[in-house]
Amino acid sequence: MSNESALNRILQPGGITPVYQPVVRTLNGSFAMHGVECLSRGPKGTNFESADVLFEYVRLKREESLVDRACISEALRGARMLPADLRLGVNVHASTLGRDHGFINFLRKTTEAAQIDIRRLMIEIVEHAPPWDGVSFLSAIEQLRKLGTEIAVDDVGLGQSNFKMLLDVSPDYLKLDRYFVEGCASDARRRSVISAVRQLAADSHAELIAEGVANAGDASSLQSLGVSLMQGFLYSEPLTLDAMQEFLAA
Amino acid sequence: MLKVADRILIVDDEELIVLTMRRYFEGLGYHVDAAHELEEAQALLANRQYDLVICDLRLTGIGGVEGLQIVADIHQRCANTRVVLLSAFGTPEIERESYNRGADAFLHKPKSMMEIASVAMNLLEQR
Repeated sequence: MSNESALNRILQPGGITPVYQPVVRTLNGSFAMHGVECLSRGPKGTNFESADVLFEYVRLKREESLVDRACISEALRGARMLPADLRLGVNVHASTLGRDHGFINFLRKTTEAAQIDIRRLMIEIVEHAPPWDGVSFLSAIEQLRKLGTEIAVDDVGLGQSNFKMLLDVSPDYLKLDRYFVEGCASDARRRSVISAVRQLAADSHAELIAEGVANAGDASSLQSLGVSLMQGFLYSEPLTLDAMQEFLAA
Repeated sequence: MLKVADRILIVDDEELIVLTMRRYFEGLGYHVDAAHELEEAQALLANRQYDLVICDLRLTGIGGVEGLQIVADIHQRCANTRVVLLSAFGTPEIERESYNRGADAFLHKPKSMMEIASVAMNLLEQR
């Protein structure tokens, strides 16, 4: 990938591949679908196929808004094929909400074009690069609320996902980062953090979603701590649209 | 027990140089990643651990010294990563600055692949 074309190749048609990962509600050893998180992969065969590298690059280039829009467009174009009662989590940088004044309109038009009820969306706010325009950010949140979307704060527990964001946004969901989830069954300190965040969620009338649930032991620990919404390889890896449809049909 | 192959990151905006170096070092049994611009290299360094980075000083064509930024980043957060800077425009001041920021070697272009590999392998063995 040459110097000039890296960002262009990410943004060109087919540069971003959407994948979908189930979010499930667990209950007494079984689980039911709660929704899916729409994830993105960069151009195949490049460094950006890794989402972590892709978004680190995008943030360094300060092109979060362009790429957020591209990822959402691709994800929703596919998601129209999924059942109409399924929540759709889409990731949006806080900086996009704060700086991209046309974003809400874009979201409205994109959902319309994909024939998706905008109220099915769960906007997962990724916070990485303050400062942004706080007034614009809060205005965007208010508009999202009026449109009826749900709001989640992503990566709770890691550096940039701070308490100020939780107070400002009053999210419907807190997504607990995998760092705290992986190995929680055998680590009392991790369970202590999870318990504290779950209490914080409950006090804020929000639900906690545990990310990165990879084994039954951790899932069981989470349930005993009162966490029932989970996402991770224990239930399913991120799936292509076709594979997601098969998963739902099974 | 077999040693896991060292992982090398090559950073250069010239695709031909990247391809040549990648082929050479992969032929020697190393894992090789490549980046063509500052931010791509930084994104990789934030997500993967490298044993050695071979980086061109200038990544934007004219007047840039992005390689110095990469050296500083590595020095700050990857203490075990060795860095070789390459430049066709290296003045004594820039060379001195490179070492000040934490470069392990500064090579003036042109250099043969064998010369670059010799420096790289010595640095990897010294760790």
